Amino acid sequence: MTVTTQRVDSAVGSSSRPRRHRRRIQAPGLPWILPALVLSAGLIYYCIGYTGFLSTLNWDGASPDPESIGLKNYTNLVNDPVFWKAIWHTVSFFIVTFVLQTAIGVVFAVIMHSRIRLAVVYKVIIFVPVVLAPAIMAPVFRQIFAADGQLNWVLGHIGLGFLEQPWIGQDSTALPVIMAITIWQWTGLTFVLYYAAMSQIDPSLLEAARIDGAGNIRTLTAIIWPSLRGTTLALGILSAIGALKTFDVPWLVTIAGPNNSTQFLGTYIYQMTIQLAHVGYGAALSIVLLVIALAMAIVLQVTGRERTGGR
Amino acid sequence: MRFRFTSKTALRSIAALAVAGMASLGLAACSGSSQGEAGSATSGTINWWGWTPTNTDEAKDFIAAFNKKYPDIKVNFKLIGISDYQAAMRPALSSNSGPDVFDLQPGAYVQQFGTYAKDLTPVAEKALGSDWKSKIAKIAVDGLTAKGKLTALPIGSSYAGSLWYNAEVFKKYNLQPPKTLDDWKQVCKTLESNGQGCFAQGASQEGFDQDTLQAIANSVEPGYWTKASKGDAKWDSPQIVETLKIWKDLFDSGIMQKGALGAQQYPDINNAFLTGKYAMVMMGSWYTQYATEAAMTQAISAAGVAGAKPFAILPLQFPDVAGKGNTSEMFGDADYGLAVASKSKHSAAAETFVQWMSTSKEGQQVVADRLDTTPVLNGVAPDFTTIKFVDSATQSAPVNEYLKGMASINEPRFALLNADIENAFLAAAQSVGSGSATPQAAAKTLQQAADAAKAANG
Repeated sequence: MTVTTQRVDSAVGSSSRPRRHRRRIQAPGLPWILPALVLSAGLIYYCIGYTGFLSTLNWDGASPDPESIGLKNYTNLVNDPVFWKAIWHTVSFFIVTFVLQTAIGVVFAVIMHSRIRLAVVYKVIIFVPVVLAPAIMAPVFRQIFAADGQLNWVLGHIGLGFLEQPWIGQDSTALPVIMAITIWQWTGLTFVLYYAAMSQIDPSLLEAARIDGAGNIRTLTAIIWPSLRGTTLALGILSAIGALKTFDVPWLVTIAGPNNSTQFLGTYIYQMTIQLAHVGYGAALSIVLLVIALAMAIVLQVTGRERTGGR
Repeated sequence: MRFRFTSKTALRSIAALAVAGMASLGLAACSGSSQGEAGSATSGTINWWGWTPTNTDEAKDFIAAFNKKYPDIKVNFKLIGISDYQAAMRPALSSNSGPDVFDLQPGAYVQQFGTYAKDLTPVAEKALGSDWKSKIAKIAVDGLTAKGKLTALPIGSSYAGSLWYNAEVFKKYNLQPPKTLDDWKQVCKTLESNGQGCFAQGASQEGFDQDTLQAIANSVEPGYWTKASKGDAKWDSPQIVETLKIWKDLFDSGIMQKGALGAQQYPDINNAFLTGKYAMVMMGSWYTQYATEAAMTQAISAAGVAGAKPFAILPLQFPDVAGKGNTSEMFGDADYGLAVASKSKHSAAAETFVQWMSTSKEGQQVVADRLDTTPVLNGVAPDFTTIKFVDSATQSAPVNEYLKGMASINEPRFALLNADIENAFLAAAQSVGSGSATPQAAAKTLQQAADAAKAANG
């Protein structure tokens, strides 16, 4: 086989160089990338392809004769008000949680860099929610935000009884509660990343700004914040994908209700696929989720690169 | 590297050998499976998965009683929360490592998982004879039968549409159980003014919303709900609109507790009632177990109360909320049945267990005495000489009367509904309860869901 290849290569002369070069790379490199290739292509891409196939079926996940219905699941999806509700919740959830986590994370990081006492203790307190499993915290939050829960008790005892609400029992406040829990849970991570990024800023830059007369706010907005653009971009992508994948908190705290007010794509996929046994429709939702996640990651990445290149 | 065949004959010989080899392997596999597929009927280990009995001690009692007769069959019970049941069962039953015996409930579960179950008609015939259907509660058998296949043998029936109340709280405030909507509002007013919660419901869970809606509908027009479930009447009719209006009134008048739409019946409301926060709760026949001292003490303790002190609870017929003088009859079907997995490697032992639980007097007596579910085998009833109520003088007569009333119930609870329609009930109940939809609009969406389900099922 090798002999044959050499003969052909020598016959075509110089025009065959690129092909020969490619073969040299492929032959020794293939075994090295094969495990990853098998894992990626076999596991991930096969599953995506199979999910795409399932999305063309009307199937309960158990019957031996699924019905092929083409793109009907996708047309049904476009006309499904709960789907659009889930999309809207995802978008608003991303905007609110990302903005607030970023703001709180940056402020905490700046404060921790200002050499306050007991900084280590504060860092631990801020970071602890990141390592707590939502399944453990969900019953606690259900109790805190219940109509007769601790939040209303506190409000009543500090003269704010007029603010008492059945927080997770009404459409208007259930989603903000889910957002608040998520912010509480993930701000620690945002803080740690910003804290690390701020450590990379050249101290002479900050010193020069001080000499030029910049105050704390000016230094934060003109020196520190622009230096954190890469971190912010990474957090933006993570938050966007996290928002699309949101499942545990809304499912465990509010079961995506009441009245679908905390319905997300993840919870809706679960309901459709597992509880209602509409496996094909659930698969169509999954494909849409995948497309949105990819599109969002590409947009954020390209936007970030353009800005970085422009500087 | 390639094999080179010198002649077609050699190639044919090898192909023939390969085919013969494959065939013999296949035959061996077939013969092996036919010999050992079912296993022994009197020994072995079987795994039983279910969402009920929720109290694992109850399951242990059943197994212990079973083992007195069949000591060589070991039964492992695995409790799976009802909210996780579908997610757990689908992959388990599809695989070869799922349970041998699993719980099934009429309606959506039978439709979704019935295909993974063996037809237990021969088991029932073997145990009770060809007229076995006349010896088991019909309402329980019907719900577990799909397309002529008995997917599970019923263990007990459960009936909903009743309320339970804390007799001690009612006595303390000198209250009578409400018989009409106005009575109910007045009772709640009195209790609230004394800082005592009145009625609570976990309106975020579908099944319990459906119970209350069906009870209201039975007050509006007895039997209409069942007719609509069968497709013989419309869901967007004036009767259902009125039902949803009364449902909304429960929220607006303060009967339903604040935050009901975010609460779960289990564990939130169950715990709240058992810890005395609320005086009334929408529960069915399965709640009879908490009339007993042992189960009540254990349940209060499980709800997080140290030094649990049991209190007497009593059943209450759903009030005539429509004010039409109709008695709101209860409804029910098999609480659960035990199915034998078609992939079970110990199906003979599994059938022995299921048969004993469902068709033997000993098995059904253990079921009956727990008061969790009503026995399905004719002639078996709870032995009240061995059951200790919290307050026998107060509870004995009403509880007995309540249980006797079950015999005449003929309206189904879940059996006629599929998961899509049940989901539509939840959407309607929540949208009306929250005020985001009018009763008319919600009734219309119910009808649309029923039409869509009918079209999907042909």
